[in-house]
Amino acid sequence: MKLFRLFGAIFSLSLRRELAFRAHLVFQGLMTIVGVISGLAVLGIIYTQTHTLGGWSLGEAITLLGTFQVVSGILSTFIEPNVMWFSDQVKDGKLDHVLIQPVPSIFLVSLGTCAPLALSQVVVGVVVMVLGLRELGTLPTLWGVSGWLLLLVAGIAITWASRVLLASLAFWAPYITPDVLYGALWQFGRYPVSTYRQPIRFVLTYVLPVAFIATFPARALIHGADPLLLVIGLAVGLIAIAIVLLVWNAGLRCYTSATS
Amino acid sequence: MRDVIQLLHVLGIGIWRTFLEWLAWRAFLFTMVINQAVTPLMGLAVWSVALPGSTRISTYYVALLAVQLMTVSYEHHTFSNGIYAGALNHDLLRPQPVVMGPLGANIALRIWHLLVGLPLIIIAAIVSGVSFDLRAILLAIPSLVLAAVLRFLFTYLLALSAFWTEQAHGVVGFGETLIFLLGGSAAPVTLFPTSIRPLGESLPFQSMLGFPAAIAGSSLSAMEILAGYGWQMLWIAVFVLLVVFVWRSGVRRYTAIGG
Repeated sequence: MKLFRLFGAIFSLSLRRELAFRAHLVFQGLMTIVGVISGLAVLGIIYTQTHTLGGWSLGEAITLLGTFQVVSGILSTFIEPNVMWFSDQVKDGKLDHVLIQPVPSIFLVSLGTCAPLALSQVVVGVVVMVLGLRELGTLPTLWGVSGWLLLLVAGIAITWASRVLLASLAFWAPYITPDVLYGALWQFGRYPVSTYRQPIRFVLTYVLPVAFIATFPARALIHGADPLLLVIGLAVGLIAIAIVLLVWNAGLRCYTSATS
Repeated sequence: MRDVIQLLHVLGIGIWRTFLEWLAWRAFLFTMVINQAVTPLMGLAVWSVALPGSTRISTYYVALLAVQLMTVSYEHHTFSNGIYAGALNHDLLRPQPVVMGPLGANIALRIWHLLVGLPLIIIAAIVSGVSFDLRAILLAIPSLVLAAVLRFLFTYLLALSAFWTEQAHGVVGFGETLIFLLGGSAAPVTLFPTSIRPLGESLPFQSMLGFPAAIAGSSLSAMEILAGYGWQMLWIAVFVLLVVFVWRSGVRRYTAIGG
């Protein structure tokens, strides 16, 4: 409960800080819109040449793009501003500051600040999803929507876990900077996982669970959720969180502050 | 003539220095190369599914990957940040044009990107089973050089916006979105709908990225190749003039730090 109130306070502080920079605000909004339009344009061009991409029609692919945008927005609002360049905190010992706070360190490190303006990406993502569903001409069922929500929650948990896991590599190898790499691989979530060829598809489904960010939730929304997939998704989410907590604690034990 | 040789000498030293500096950042270079390679590789994956059995499209995207790595430009990091931090002061005092610094860094980084990315290009070429025509590659090399020049000029121009705004990184990011969308990375310009294809061919973005790859992928006729070279030269001339003009008016606004 305390963590939730703290989270609320962090959000409101960050929002007030960001609202102070108006020009930045306008510019960020513009960039979000440009990004989404470019994503839609790419799909538009692809589907002039073909009717299906890995078994997905245009409307389905747009719905998927919208879902991808929603999760990307959450990543860049709540997670990315915290763990970006985390290895620097380990290298120069700034992590000391976090460790003496009366709150779990993993909470402060991974959710201690946020960029509320990036939530505009979530809004735009929802709009894109509505566009996709209109193109499909179907209304999602209640079961579909709840499946989408559940898988989205699982996807966000997996996203948070994998990003923090990657950041906590810094405890053992402070000189690698995996931050850019994560952003690059993240982009593979834009298209249905079935687009990619076999070894890559396997990796994207099971090793780097990119499939959970957009492909699975979007499929649940359109075709109704497969109960087995829901169970697997939630299980993978929980396991991912457990692994991160374990790795984080092991990492903290290796942390020797700055002078070592 | 002696001035030119001297400038080239200075440039060579600049390239060599940045090249050695980045030797210490090899791991980071690796992630930068992956980051640059993602869009061409995704294009390769998506388009080879959309047009099954077309080796031409795979060849195009493998060539595009190579072009992308050899034309990367990071002037928002190597130059704009210097304006923000006031580090430009040092460069202004040197008896050489300021552009030599970012240009040397640019070429060194491109060499690094090619070196680190070469295994990736080879793997992509083998996995997707592409075959290159030697004649097409020879035809593409001059256009690759022109594309490299043009993309540097474009990014440098956008990075110069740092004299007026704090958003130079965003401006360059916007330019990169345009290159991705209209430069033949999202979709080859030859596959654009016929209504916007002439636009795609004549805008500068295709000249920066997709054109050399399209030649290497043998998807252009002789006339189209000639026209493409024409557009490249035209846009280089335009961007040189723009860069000179914007630089001159920007450097007058420069107040070292705290302006």
